[in-house]
Amino acid sequence: MHAGHYISGAGHLALIGWALFGGMFLPEELPAPVTEVSMISPEDFAALTQGVDAPAIAPEIVEPEAPATEPEADPTPPTPEPEARPEPTPQPVETPAPEAPDAPPQVLPEPVPPAVVQDTPPDPAPQPSEDVAIVLPERTPRPQPRPAERVAPEPIVQPDPTPDTAPEVQPETAPEEAPELPQPEQDSAAPEEATTEIVTEAEQPSGAPERSSRPRTRPERTAAAPETPAPTPTPTPAPTRETPPEPAADPLAAALAEASSGNGTGETERVAAGPPLSRGEREALRLAVQACWVVDVGSQAANVTVVVGMNMNRDGTVAGDIRLLSSEGGDQAAVQTAFQAARRAVLRCQQGGYDLPADKYDQWREIEMTFNPESMRLR
Amino acid sequence: MLTRLLTTVLFALIAALMLAAPARAQSGPLRIEITEGVIEPLPFAVPDFVPEGGTDAASWGARLARVVSEDLVGTGLFRELPSSAYISGITSFSSPVQFADWKAINAQALITGAVTVQGNQLVVKFRIYDVFAGTELGSGLQFVGTTDGWRRMAHKVADQVYARITGEGGYFDSRVVFVSETGPKDDRKKRLAIMDYDGENVQYLTDSSSIVLAPRFSPTGDRVLYTSYETGFPRIYVLDVGSVQRRVLESGQGTMSFAPRFSPDGQTVLFSLTTGNNTDIYAMSVSGGGMTRLTSAPSIETAPSFSPDGSRIVFESDRSGTQQLYIMPVSGGEPQRISFGQGRYGTPVWSPRGDMIAFTKQAQGRFHIGVMRTDGSEERLLTASFLDEGPTWAPNGRVIMFTRETQGANGAASLYSVDISGRNLKRVRTPSGASDPSWGPLQN
Repeated sequence: MHAGHYISGAGHLALIGWALFGGMFLPEELPAPVTEVSMISPEDFAALTQGVDAPAIAPEIVEPEAPATEPEADPTPPTPEPEARPEPTPQPVETPAPEAPDAPPQVLPEPVPPAVVQDTPPDPAPQPSEDVAIVLPERTPRPQPRPAERVAPEPIVQPDPTPDTAPEVQPETAPEEAPELPQPEQDSAAPEEATTEIVTEAEQPSGAPERSSRPRTRPERTAAAPETPAPTPTPTPAPTRETPPEPAADPLAAALAEASSGNGTGETERVAAGPPLSRGEREALRLAVQACWVVDVGSQAANVTVVVGMNMNRDGTVAGDIRLLSSEGGDQAAVQTAFQAARRAVLRCQQGGYDLPADKYDQWREIEMTFNPESMRLR
Repeated sequence: MLTRLLTTVLFALIAALMLAAPARAQSGPLRIEITEGVIEPLPFAVPDFVPEGGTDAASWGARLARVVSEDLVGTGLFRELPSSAYISGITSFSSPVQFADWKAINAQALITGAVTVQGNQLVVKFRIYDVFAGTELGSGLQFVGTTDGWRRMAHKVADQVYARITGEGGYFDSRVVFVSETGPKDDRKKRLAIMDYDGENVQYLTDSSSIVLAPRFSPTGDRVLYTSYETGFPRIYVLDVGSVQRRVLESGQGTMSFAPRFSPDGQTVLFSLTTGNNTDIYAMSVSGGGMTRLTSAPSIETAPSFSPDGSRIVFESDRSGTQQLYIMPVSGGEPQRISFGQGRYGTPVWSPRGDMIAFTKQAQGRFHIGVMRTDGSEERLLTASFLDEGPTWAPNGRVIMFTRETQGANGAASLYSVDISGRNLKRVRTPSGASDPSWGPLQN
């Protein structure tokens, strides 16, 4: 009897639900596979052509003139000091302050992320701590990895912590130590330490992916969590409609963006026109900046995570100053040092401008970068 | 049951609708998270300081710039760009800097200076520029000193550069007291000596007539505590660095006292005292008297070191059967063991920052210098060799100096330094063998 009721009830519900919302579900499933096609949709194409047309005429003509005289002069224009620079310099120092007023509008979206951040932390926080607890005992025995000695003989190449960038770093450090150590004894001694270092460095990156990967899954869950468990399959397809590329590229950023959109909808008019950046495009920007981000792992600044904001020119260069939006950990001096390192990274690696798609300028006209050294720290 | 099922399904459908709404409104700035940076020295340029008058001003300018460069490069955190790479030089201290020229050779920091010589007096001015920001870092400074102390003036410039770029205090204008060792292993002569942090300007404080051990700087760098076997058994002496006058710290007849260390205020001395077969930790006033006993276990307690706030001490003890590290309040109380790894731990030293403790560790036939948090967590070994021991902290808590002794009949002791990240291990230049370093404070 009950079975009959359940079956008929479920059947009716399914029918009614399908009749009411079927219109929604059908399109949802279609876009999912077709999302990639939408990237090259007519809108994209139109944007592409527009983007090409506009810059081709105006900006590109303007630029050639400046480079012709002095290629390096482009970055300098912001400092059109007359003659006495020592005195003018204090002014640029003060200029960041006046820009603080600019920040508030952007600070608005921030207060929102905190709200979400507060939600998420409880989940990730406990687990990291568990991880740390496990990792610590493992690290104390580190010295045991004597096997490292076999590796040591040649490279003092321990700076390998970052597999990607290591090749660049090592060549630079090695040449330095060579001139510094005229005494052969040092060389004989150094490799031993280098071995212990290799171990420590090697272990850190391994820890990094664990932590970073978890948060990625979180945003999706938290989005669905408040809702009931059973229908979770249905809600997820819904968001995929419009934000499929983002969760793929960086779920955390996507989650933050979602959160901010809740209160900061006013900004939608200003930004967010055109198709979002593809995963590859975001990744390229990330790699370009991190190649110039120098972290002093032994310093207090290595305990600080900073978020910096910047406005971009169409040519991919930073417009105006880079602002410190928020920070986490460390005292004021450490925060300042961490901010300077982040700022230097962005400025130093921009060269003639970051390689960003001109047709999606509205998507990256304003950028917020989080510099989190946690995975590099020696803990 | 049915109603619950119905409610559940309906709720889910409604929730799905609500979820879809905010997802559509995607907006705001592009957000990127960067978690992997690079570890590399920061490139800087320090052209020879501009001569602004006086005899040999140009020569002084070049020498000052070299020392500044050696200090910075020696940290492992900076890399100097050779002058052959310069596109434009610095010919005037006050004229504007052509940032584009320095940016082109990837100099991130530029240090300019000027020197004036008046008799035996040097006037040194300098400025630091953040090349990629096109601004000056801080404001220019000027030091006045004698030609004799020219290296100290260069160290002071380097300390300023280090502090402004890293945000942490420097340690270049500091001195180290140590035991100078000469002669073969079976007849080694030991003398107290003092030198600049980089091994320059060595001066001897005692002769080699008796064995001296473990000198320790006072917090202000004006006095040194050390242990001497002058009377045949160990006793603690206080030596005034300026006058080289010394006096014994009386601890009672028939006792052996050793391993002294100053309190952060320089008024109290912690030390070990052996009476009969038992060694414990005591405190007494530097002026003598007021001796109080801090530990009272039948085991051996020694090598005490104060926390920077003077409220706690860390020391080594074999009360558990093996030599381990313990922390206890100065006011007394039960010591808490903080070291739990394999092997034996000794000579703990509290960092000036207060967050770490450096120690010597012996395990599986090798010695290590390591650091751990004050609760014993995050232990990290920085070195490994036949014999490493006796760590001492740089004034900024960033670098550790220690003794390394080589194996064999011709084995000798020398001083090494290492960054607390485990990088930049290097030997400190000393004219002869050296051991037992104690790093003094930044000088005024």
